Amino acid sequence: MTAGHGIFFDGAVSARQEAKIALGDTALHVTNPDGRLLAEWPFGEIEEVAAPDGVLRLARRNSGLLARLEIRDAALATAIDERAEAVDRSGSIHRRQRASVIAWSVAATVSLVLLGYYGVPALAERLAPLVPPEVERRLGAAVDMQVRGMLDKNNLGEGFECGARPGEPPGKAAFEKMFGRLERAAALPVPLRPSVIRREEANAIALPGGRIYVFEGLIAKAENPDEVAGVIAHELGHVANRDNTTTLLQGAGLSLLFGMVLGDFVGGGAVVLAARTLLQLSYSRDVELGADRYAARLMDKAGGEVRALGTMLERIGGATEPGAKILLDHPETKARVAAINAVAPKGTPVPFLDAAEWAAMRRICGGR
Amino acid sequence: MNGASPPAAAAHVRFLGSRRAYWRLQLRGAFLLLVTLGIYRFWLATDIRRFLWSNTEVAGDTLEYYGTPLELLVGFLFAIAILIPIYSLFFLAALDLGVIGQFSGLIAFVSLFWLGQYAVFRARRYRLTRTIYRGIRFHQSGAPWRYAFRATAWWGLTFLTLGLAYPFQIASLERYKLRNTHYGDLSGRFEGTGWRLFLRGLPLWLAVIIPIGLALGSLIATINFTVLGDALAENADDILSRLAPASPGLAIAVVFALAMVLVAFLFGLILYPLFQALLVRWWSSGLRFGALAVVSRLRTGQVYGAYARFIAWALLFCIALGLLIAPTMFAVDYITTRIGASPVMRELLGTAALLGGYVFAALGFSTIYRSTVIFSLWQLGMNALELSDTSQLETVKAAGTPSSAIGEGLADALHVGGL
Repeated sequence: MTAGHGIFFDGAVSARQEAKIALGDTALHVTNPDGRLLAEWPFGEIEEVAAPDGVLRLARRNSGLLARLEIRDAALATAIDERAEAVDRSGSIHRRQRASVIAWSVAATVSLVLLGYYGVPALAERLAPLVPPEVERRLGAAVDMQVRGMLDKNNLGEGFECGARPGEPPGKAAFEKMFGRLERAAALPVPLRPSVIRREEANAIALPGGRIYVFEGLIAKAENPDEVAGVIAHELGHVANRDNTTTLLQGAGLSLLFGMVLGDFVGGGAVVLAARTLLQLSYSRDVELGADRYAARLMDKAGGEVRALGTMLERIGGATEPGAKILLDHPETKARVAAINAVAPKGTPVPFLDAAEWAAMRRICGGR
Repeated sequence: MNGASPPAAAAHVRFLGSRRAYWRLQLRGAFLLLVTLGIYRFWLATDIRRFLWSNTEVAGDTLEYYGTPLELLVGFLFAIAILIPIYSLFFLAALDLGVIGQFSGLIAFVSLFWLGQYAVFRARRYRLTRTIYRGIRFHQSGAPWRYAFRATAWWGLTFLTLGLAYPFQIASLERYKLRNTHYGDLSGRFEGTGWRLFLRGLPLWLAVIIPIGLALGSLIATINFTVLGDALAENADDILSRLAPASPGLAIAVVFALAMVLVAFLFGLILYPLFQALLVRWWSSGLRFGALAVVSRLRTGQVYGAYARFIAWALLFCIALGLLIAPTMFAVDYITTRIGASPVMRELLGTAALLGGYVFAALGFSTIYRSTVIFSLWQLGMNALELSDTSQLETVKAAGTPSSAIGEGLADALHVGGL
């Protein structure tokens, strides 16, 4: 069968034209019932476009016009299918294309997930030093307001920071002595604003822009001044590594990857949340380990007891269950202590405070 | 049979697609969305449009969707490149604790809403220029930014009037859209009026608003505002225990208010298909292309049927999920015991199973919704159309050029996309 009938639209006017179709050696000829040539399409340039079942709709590739030829005759359609390479009645080209699309999509998904795991933290680390200090300072001010709002439950205001009330200034002096020694050794390019705050948890935090809060509970749990100094050194590590900015950039990168590019389907929100949480926890563990390493070296440089941070962590960290590693935002205490102890001290440590100063510092928050 | 098609110029619209084929498309799409974490959506959207367009027959000839998934993907990538600086700017503005910083949330919301409307109009342009009928493409004129201002202002008004302005909003926006819609050299227009929709929709609006008004009224009448004001001023923790003795009948008023809110919610749910039916009828009947007028004979009962179908399938799916949960939990439990997992590991696996189940259920309901309600509304809406004077459709001359898919990409990234 090399001839038949169809409907032709010439792409210039919307009129439907009854057409006779003849299949030549290299091209398809379309004529109107009077025999006038309407179109001559080389088989190599014919493409199949979307049509309902039972209709073969053809177009000419790269013609600039949207001329269409519709064929309902199955035998004629098969004959054209055999001649024109891009026409694909059986759907095998389509299926192959779909399979390759699926394969590429899956590959892209895997690659993007890997990018989230390796690329985003690496990129954030490189980009963080480029963020101007002024932006970091403003960010710090905003974060500080929020943090104070959360931590300062009793609305103590200025009194939230220890050291100004009667009996507290000697403790403050001791704290400043300790901090000054660390700060000189660290020689960071940013101004630091340390203070001890009235909170019972054994913790310390570093905010963007150089603010460092040491919780009263940490000093209470410490058995010697170097343990407090070790934790402060860890926080200085966060400042030195610009971890706040890095974490922020990581978060932004992850939002872009998981949320905009990936996971945009019904129910995808949960997958995105889970993936983001796991990745962020993994970043956070790396960041903590980096700060620990920095702290050990800084303690050594400042002439303190390198292992003090490790003993402190063991006291406050407690034991973690095995197997839950990927759900922690800090590495396991054992791994942290091992990393700290891997730094070999150079000299004999000199305690940060003498006994009297240490006793004063323990009363920095009124000796509660 | 000579191979020619049936006689043309039948003055109606028919939808030829089979529901089974659409189900197949959606089910495969849902699976691939899951596997590719959503990247497949560009291909799925194109497949769906090809199916719906190809199977919609207007006066004897079917439409054709000529867009490709790659265009959508590229448009999306462009959109991301446009949005990243904008998002960064908002972030930096939020850090600025000055006057701008205080309002940065509101400013961000309004400008992103504006951008969303801009994207809606541009996405519509993309879809129209990829729609071909009888060898001639549709296209769209008009400025997206102008539409976006119009739409943003109207939505604000609709929000402030609790939805009363909605009929006038949609009439105004549809007038703008259709005035700028062209099939070749034949221009469209919209003749539906806001008042007509307003009068038809008013009873529905009242059915939802009156119970809410009663709920608010009963609370306002019983609450002792002096006591409430004092308690709020003191930032007290025991507002309720102070308020109750000072406001007699408060308990009854609260119960009444809750019941009324429930009534409003139920009315909204029951009346929604009715609203949808009258909206589709009103909109379709307002369409004009030159001398060609459209009338919709869509019956409300048919729309309720579409929702009934959804509910039936959703219930079946619920039962299937219920039957699956127990064996899955058992299997997870068995496997974790077998490999001797620690309690934490078990919890982790349990959470993973729960996550998988959630995604499965969410995708399942969405697939059912698309294959029942969305499919039926398209099918019924199209089959209900009657056209007057289709002779003009024979002599339309080609005009317009294809547009890029950046609008689609923006709409996708901002989650304001349509089909």
